[in-house]
Order: sequence, then structure tokens, then C-alpha cells
Amino acid sequence: MSATCEFQAKDYKSDLKPIWCPGCGDYSVVQGIYRALAAVGRPPHEVAFISGIGCSSRIPGYTTAYGFNTVHGRALPIAQGIKLANPDLLVLAAGGDGDGFSIGGGHIAHLIRRNIDITYIVMDNQIYGLTKGQLSPTSQKGRTTCTSPYGSLENPVNPLLYVLAYGAGFVAQASPTDLAGMAATLEEAIRYPGFAFVNVQSPCVTYGEEAQQIKGLKAISENLSAIGHNPADRLAAMDLAQHYGEKLHLGVFYKNPEPPPTYDALIRERQAQLSQGALPKERILDLFIKK
Amino acid sequence: MAARIDFASLSLMDALDLAVLIEDEAKERYEEFAAQMDQHRTPEAARFFRLMAVNEAKHGQELADRRSQLFGGVTPTVTRAMVFEVEAPDYDQARAFMSPRQAMKAALASEVKAHAFFVAALPALKDAKVRALFEELRDEEVQHQALVKAELAKLPPDSGLSDDDFVDEPTAQ
Repeated sequence: MSATCEFQAKDYKSDLKPIWCPGCGDYSVVQGIYRALAAVGRPPHEVAFISGIGCSSRIPGYTTAYGFNTVHGRALPIAQGIKLANPDLLVLAAGGDGDGFSIGGGHIAHLIRRNIDITYIVMDNQIYGLTKGQLSPTSQKGRTTCTSPYGSLENPVNPLLYVLAYGAGFVAQASPTDLAGMAATLEEAIRYPGFAFVNVQSPCVTYGEEAQQIKGLKAISENLSAIGHNPADRLAAMDLAQHYGEKLHLGVFYKNPEPPPTYDALIRERQAQLSQGALPKERILDLFIKK
Repeated sequence: MAARIDFASLSLMDALDLAVLIEDEAKERYEEFAAQMDQHRTPEAARFFRLMAVNEAKHGQELADRRSQLFGGVTPTVTRAMVFEVEAPDYDQARAFMSPRQAMKAALASEVKAHAFFVAALPALKDAKVRALFEELRDEEVQHQALVKAELAKLPPDSGLSDDDFVDEPTAQ
């Protein structure tokens, strides 16, 4: 049995005490993130954790990594900027389903098509919990909330199909029903060279419905590796993703076996090409002076 | 990828280290629960969880002392990355404004879970000394369950109503 590990989960845990509701799924998610980061082994000062607004977006504060609790829905563009400014950083972005698929929904497509090397973790609880229980983009049709007293008339966004359709290279789902599996999935996502998306079904203990709590999630969960799913098969992944909301498939839906170059790598390559024919700094002014 | 426990190759030193790590994880979780209860102004439940944390720490120290006597400062080969909520209560066991009864029931569920872990591991064990240790730990979990049940019995009779019915929603953060 070998077990040499430079970093331990506790090295990524800050002194700030989480103020989520007791029983919230996000406690397990942050624990899974600590463990995944320890397994990856990058020191906390080489990690940047960016979030939007919402209960789950508090997560950077509970880690010892660099953190930026940004504005609603804007975790991804800011994470992208950080990655491009300092490509050596390991960049994680996190938020809830409202933050990611409502106000921030427009950003996901662009990070995916650029293939920015960040890991995006969405804590999907199908409700706006921080603002006391309004419909979110992933709330099920018919769901009764304070903003839908007679039941929602809207179809929910399917986060898994959404990112698969845009061509994300790594798509997975996890849940606090299986902490070990979640830590392993997050680790694999972080190690993936490119945009990685992990949807975590994280129950809201205060505004979530009974079926969305741990017991209910366990009843519908199924491990993708146990059913023989091949994560290199994108179409099979899309087929399975259609069961979002009915079944809880856990594990990797899709992992591009031949990851394309990341945008940050292409930028560096372009910079290197252009710098070959570039004028020395002291001669740049000459470009603007008429001879 | 986090290494999984290979029970068949577990040595006595590994097993003792594993047992210490299990207690350590449980202690930390109870401390987290106590902090959550403090945050939600539930001092009775916080006090109980702190008591559980002290008990786990005490048990962990006893096991660490045994390990130290037998194997001195030999570097451990098992790590916390191999331990996932064996004796630590699951996060979803906590609730805002838990009553002492609910807190004790959460602890009891954890002791039952730990007992199941040791029972499930026994058939895979090859080393007789490791087996004896796991049997001892399994039996201790039964004793712990009895202690929690005794504490539960001291509480006034249950009203039969659900505590959740009297709980206000958490205040905005």
C-alpha cells in the first residue's frame, strides 16, 4: 500500500467557518474539492478559485487558494481572464444552477468553444436558496415555489446536455450521496487539459423537495462505470444526459480521448510566433513616426 | 486518484493507523457540526457534538498510543485520502435548530455505520492480528451505541411531533 502525498485535504481548508444551513449538500462538495486538490497536489498558492453569487459561491472563502467571489453570473469570464493572464495557475470556477445557467448562461458556450483550461463546478440544487426559494433554471416543471405558487410552467434547462451540445471536452456529474466518487470525479476534471464541467446534485436542505434530498437522490442514482458507459462516446453521453432529472447518473459522461489544444496554449503559441518578427521595444515608436 | 483500502494486505500497523484516521475524521466532523450548531444558535446540540468530538479524540489517542508502542515512529502507509465517512456522521445528518434528541440520533446512526464498516471488512482480512483488532473495534462500536442510547433514554419523552414543524427558515445570510 503506497501513500506518499505532499498535500492533505486540510491544507486547502481555510479558517473561515461555512455558514450554509446544516445538512446542505455544499458541505460535502467543499470536502470533495479539498480531497481532489490534495490528490492533484498543486500547492494552494498555485490555485485560484472563482465564483459568482449564491450559497455555493461562498466556496472560495472556505479554501486556502486564491479566491474571488465575483458578481452574479460572472464567475466564468473572470476565471477566463485570470487563466489567460496567468496560465500557470490552476483555475477553478464554481457557482449554483441559477448563477451558471440563468444570468451567467451565456458565458458557458464561449468558454467551451475556446477550450479554456478551467474546471467549472456547478452545485445544482434546482432552486435559488440564498434568496429564499425562487424558481431556478433547473427547477422541474410543476415545481411550487414562492415565485410559482401554482407550479412552474417552464421546462428546466438540462445542464449536461447543454454543455455536451456546445462540445465540452469533459462532462461529469457527482453528488454528496457518494463522497469518494465525487472526490475522484473532481480530481479527474481538474486533471483534464481543457474546459471541464462537473454538475453536482447538491441538495438544498431548506427549500429543496423531499425527493431531492440525499435519500431521494440515492434512490435514483446509478454509477456510469457500473452500467458500462464508455466516456469516450459523446453520443452515448448525450443519450444518457437526457435522463437528467429522472435518474442521477454519477461519474464521467464524456471525456475527449484526444483533447484539443487549449486557448491559453494557442495564445502563447501565437505570442511566440509574433514575437519572432517583432521590433525591439526601443524601436516600437518608429512605427508611429513618419520618416 | 485516492487509494482505496486493500483489506487483504492490511498489516497490524496499517490497521491501527487506519483506525486512528477514522477517529480523526469523526472528531473533525463532530467539531464541524458543533460549529454549525453554534452558527444557528443551537447550544444543546453543539454541546453534544463537542462531547462526541472529545470522545472520538480520546479513542483516537488510545489507538495512536498503541500504535506508537508497537511500531514507534515508522512512517504510516495509509492516509486520510483512504477514509471516507466511516464513523463521521454524514453531512446531511445535521439540521438547523437540531434538538438534543436529533443530535444523539445522528451520532447513533454514525456508530451503526462504523459497526457495519468493520463487519463488512472482516471477511477480507487475512492477518489474524488485524482481524482481532477489527473485531475489537466492531465490539467497541456496539458499546458506543449503548452509551448514546443511554443518553437518549435520559431525555424527556418524545412529544410525538416533528421538530421540523416548529423550525423557522434560516435568516438571510
